[in-house]
Amino acid sequence: MGEEILVSLKVNGQERALAVKPNTTLQDLVRWHLDLTGTKKGCEMGECGACTVLMDGRPVNSCMVLAVAASGSEVTTIEGLSVNGDLHPLQKAFVKHGALQCGFCTPGMILSAKALIDSKADPTEEDIRQVLGGNLCRCAAYPRIVKAILSWKEFEGVPLDTRPHTPEERDQERDHAVVGHGVTRYDGPDKVSGRARYTSDIRLPGMIFGKILCSPHAHALIRSIDTTGAKKLPGVLAVITGADVPETRYGVSPARYDEHVLAKERVRYVGDEVAAVAAVDVETAERALRLIQVEYEVLPAVFDAEEALKPGAPLIHPEDPRYAGNVNTRVEWNFGDVDKGFAEADLVREERFVGSRTYQAPIEPHASLARWEHHGPKLTLWSATQTPHYLQQMVARTLDIPVGSIRVIKPAVGGGFGVKAETTPLDLCAVILARMTGRPVMMKYSRREMFYHFRGRHKQIMDLKIGLKRDGSITAVQSRIVLDGGAYTSYGVITAYYAGSMIPTLYKIPHYKYDGLRMYTNLPACGAFRGHGVPQPRFAFESLLDMMAEDLGLDPFDVRIRNAMTPGTRTCNALDISSCEFGATLERAREASGWAQKKGRLPRGKGIGVGCGGFVSGAGYPIYRSDFPHSNAMLRVHESGQAVTLHIAAADIGQGSDTVLPQIAAEELGIPYDRVWMAACDSTLSPVDLGSYSSRVTLMGGNAVKMAATDVKNKLLRVAGRRLGCDPAALTCRDGRIFVKEHPSVGIDWAEVAAAAFSEGGPVVGTGSYRPPTTLGGDFKGGTVGTSPAYSFSTFVCEVSVDLETGFVTVDRCVDFSDAGTVVNPVTFHGQVEGGVIMGIGETLLEDVVHRADGTIANPNLHDYLIPSIRETPEIISVAVESFEPRGPFGAKEIGEGCLVPILGAIANAVYDACGVRVKELPITPEKILKGLQLQAAGRVAARVEG
Amino acid sequence: MRAALSRLRVVREPNLAMTARALEESAEGPRPLVPMAGGTDLFVYLNAGALPEQDYLDLWHLDELRGVIDTPGGVRIHALETFANLRRDPLVKRRYPALAEASSWVGARQIQNRATIAGNIANGSPAGDSLPVLLALDARIRLVRFSAPRDVGFDTFYTGYRTSVRHPSELIHSILLPWPLPGTRQYFRKVGTRLAQAISKVVIATTITVQKGRVTRARIALGSVAATVVRVPSAEDALLGEKLTPAAASEAARRLRESIHPIDDIRSTAAHRLRVAGRLVELAVADALR
Repeated sequence: MGEEILVSLKVNGQERALAVKPNTTLQDLVRWHLDLTGTKKGCEMGECGACTVLMDGRPVNSCMVLAVAASGSEVTTIEGLSVNGDLHPLQKAFVKHGALQCGFCTPGMILSAKALIDSKADPTEEDIRQVLGGNLCRCAAYPRIVKAILSWKEFEGVPLDTRPHTPEERDQERDHAVVGHGVTRYDGPDKVSGRARYTSDIRLPGMIFGKILCSPHAHALIRSIDTTGAKKLPGVLAVITGADVPETRYGVSPARYDEHVLAKERVRYVGDEVAAVAAVDVETAERALRLIQVEYEVLPAVFDAEEALKPGAPLIHPEDPRYAGNVNTRVEWNFGDVDKGFAEADLVREERFVGSRTYQAPIEPHASLARWEHHGPKLTLWSATQTPHYLQQMVARTLDIPVGSIRVIKPAVGGGFGVKAETTPLDLCAVILARMTGRPVMMKYSRREMFYHFRGRHKQIMDLKIGLKRDGSITAVQSRIVLDGGAYTSYGVITAYYAGSMIPTLYKIPHYKYDGLRMYTNLPACGAFRGHGVPQPRFAFESLLDMMAEDLGLDPFDVRIRNAMTPGTRTCNALDISSCEFGATLERAREASGWAQKKGRLPRGKGIGVGCGGFVSGAGYPIYRSDFPHSNAMLRVHESGQAVTLHIAAADIGQGSDTVLPQIAAEELGIPYDRVWMAACDSTLSPVDLGSYSSRVTLMGGNAVKMAATDVKNKLLRVAGRRLGCDPAALTCRDGRIFVKEHPSVGIDWAEVAAAAFSEGGPVVGTGSYRPPTTLGGDFKGGTVGTSPAYSFSTFVCEVSVDLETGFVTVDRCVDFSDAGTVVNPVTFHGQVEGGVIMGIGETLLEDVVHRADGTIANPNLHDYLIPSIRETPEIISVAVESFEPRGPFGAKEIGEGCLVPILGAIANAVYDACGVRVKELPITPEKILKGLQLQAAGRVAARVEG
Repeated sequence: MRAALSRLRVVREPNLAMTARALEESAEGPRPLVPMAGGTDLFVYLNAGALPEQDYLDLWHLDELRGVIDTPGGVRIHALETFANLRRDPLVKRRYPALAEASSWVGARQIQNRATIAGNIANGSPAGDSLPVLLALDARIRLVRFSAPRDVGFDTFYTGYRTSVRHPSELIHSILLPWPLPGTRQYFRKVGTRLAQAISKVVIATTITVQKGRVTRARIALGSVAATVVRVPSAEDALLGEKLTPAAASEAARRLRESIHPIDDIRSTAAHRLRVAGRLVELAVADALR
């Protein structure tokens, strides 16, 4: 590969001279030669900006600059911004404003901002939007990033922690000392400074690298594999194929484990895993992959869910008779009598809506690192996962390793949105290769490989029928959905149920019929994606409701309010709605958006639309049969009494659980938030938590934490009672003091009591666990999916501009009113809402993974699969309505997923209001709108067009 | 799945003369060197595994290829000028506002800090943001090889999809933009899928010269509608001698729709491109009226 070249450059003020290969990028130079891992690798195509560094003061994508080309220049990485341990004011501003979630894009974002303020100390909002267009944030913290940069000067010379929190963000009246306050993110300082280590940032002695060979064919039989050439290549330590992996299949739903670690005889999509290599470096591993010779017998393939259903379609899992006709999951639900309901209606309308295959596209690629310990044998697995517990179980089961011998550690995770909620081939291959070689094995996907691994949103073809009375009351709903599931099950069984189960939670539906059909196709498998299964059916529902309101001459808000869910309701599909302020979200959004003045009254090209949504606050049942409580927590009080450590395996993937959970602990314990240390997500330190999916952590993890804190509190109150000579029941704790409720001036220092308790009886530990009520759900097949202790509700109104020349849609401003119960942290809460809105905008207007006729992906990169940038960010007003959930900790429920659900329908409705074009197929592209406008202009259709 | 940077080999020579000689010598051999400047296009293709194994000739350090120079015949922009520079250059902003505007639409800031005008030309993508502007401005490209330089009109530079008259032994040295005629209005608009950092569905650049109320010269250039960036002479002719009226504009748009044949791809459809391209011509004329 040519000789090494000496490169001299200045990095963060230090002169460096390094010998690098001619093809070494500046990114690899800083990450590998200098171990400055704050510079992230997100796309390797100069698209995401996570690898931004400053070169002679200017931002560049370090993945696209050769190290030799940087010779002689001055390079600044994120690690160079803080001076003598003090964060740069910009970094402090990011932390304080909650301008980050997963933190993976944050270093690049901050460096781009640094270049801006260096050239213009007081940038305008427009400057910021211009300059940050090349830094993608999938959590979409954009609104807060703008605020942080605008205010950076306020943080000059100010220590981070003494600035007041942001009380103006509190929407709700609560008398809490910690809950409800926008405290500093626990992981904020590490993420803004580049200190946070993500899986691919970990360096272990002797570490080697693995890569996977994928099928180039959408459907084929493997005739033979010859690995001789690969094994001979110097630097290659192991090569494995389907013959070297267990017969055991893995997956997500126990009823449908249908994947082998590596293909045994059949490949079912372009990208299916065929072989894996471990080598001394990534280059060698990739070269070895090219030397593996696979002989395929290519088979006919099917790429469309409805085609897959036809007689004679190629069978994708012929070995299993359960999958005859390529049907992976069939749901047949019938609640009430829809025929009767439709007969009672004054208007019945049925329309077909079509969703798109969208991809979570977290900026951090999947990564796994496995190491077998010399004693034991015991395995340590670091993985970019949302569900460490399921990962531990699945690795144990699939590779036949005692679960007690596996330690799973979740380092910082750079976003997931569902795609990191399952065990990946990287996890399994890394474990196997590490065992074979006796070396730690690091494996990671490239951006392109991520797209092929997929597990994104199912494309759903939805035939929806609604019956309405003249006054807008819903009499019946019938929904038939065909889901394109791709080649394997993943989360798909649950998706197929969710697509039906969540429709009756928002509006009262007396009669409801749902037929779901999840099909196998020869495309990458679909999985769980924020709002699991629900956003597309909700898009269909909210669109059709608006269409029918227009038919009846009713205001869209009136129709929604008439049917709105109320607290304490059991839905037609046996879901128990606990707290519900949906009506309040509707009334307040209508008022705040200026609906009455705007709906139907804006100039042509401008429109307003409403959509509603909501989601479960944690699934009522686990994915596999298990008697464990769903969330478990331990709190250990330090012997000094000055701090506690919260041991919990809840997975913070950017949503902020490492901040919200210690807040709940601090509130219940009556101590300040900054006295809580986190010991999260290491299976040797923290008891089982099912993970971050189904928006479960705040409610379930929070309940477990609160219970553990109560346990500790009761122990301390007994000690304090003895010291103060009073009944412990008369005491309470707050702000680091234990005192008599009726006489707050009579009290004692919390730490003093805690230290005394330790001196008396050794470690003070509290434990808590939470399991949802076991009575949830109806007694019918699939009756568990959609159950939850509590549901969120929201109303979203947006205004859009449609460029009548080009069809280009801009979302200008929007309001979101959410009922998520008590808001534990307003900064992370509104961050979630804003991020969900922006992700929803992407899903509605931009995103669609496109496959070619041979099953390859036409846009497997962030260059052609476009996600929203800071320029797509509208003005967002997010408000939490007053609400209290009796089953949640301090009254809290979920926000992270429900916030995305209403966006798609609302934008579709607003586009229709703006230009009279009704697009029923996602995404709503300029092409579809302009086509509709042209039909309008030609007078071939009425002023209102369906596209 | 992916060919990596492991295929990359880079050669670097100390100065322009030696670089040009290395290029010329390699052009005769089995592995011709491929010139590389900011690398922003190249790395995209490298990472997508879309390039064969080849060797690259690094130009980034050659300061002889930098500078925006005022000359009697116009402004000479040297090959390695980045879009960040062109976006801000006072001379470019004053005399060729369409080029400054186009430069601000290339990728994002990180890309603009590395991507060069010659790289955009040599890469030859029909979606290259700056290319329609160069066409509309009657740019001339100076090619050099170790033995001799030559100048080529940009309207004859491309011979097909990503192919050009540039011989593998030649480097792009600079671009000459003739002084705009008095009374000339320049227009640029990129229509992409996203506002920031998106490859265009259609990109247009026009220069329209009006003297005594009539159009005396028109250049209408489009990107992303054909295998190369194209000028549309029939639409230009529709404006010549005319007053800038909506009727003249729609006639130009009509002729344009007749003479271009865009395709469907991941970024848009042929039908959409035709419609939008036509409307952009009308908007360009409306802009010239201001």
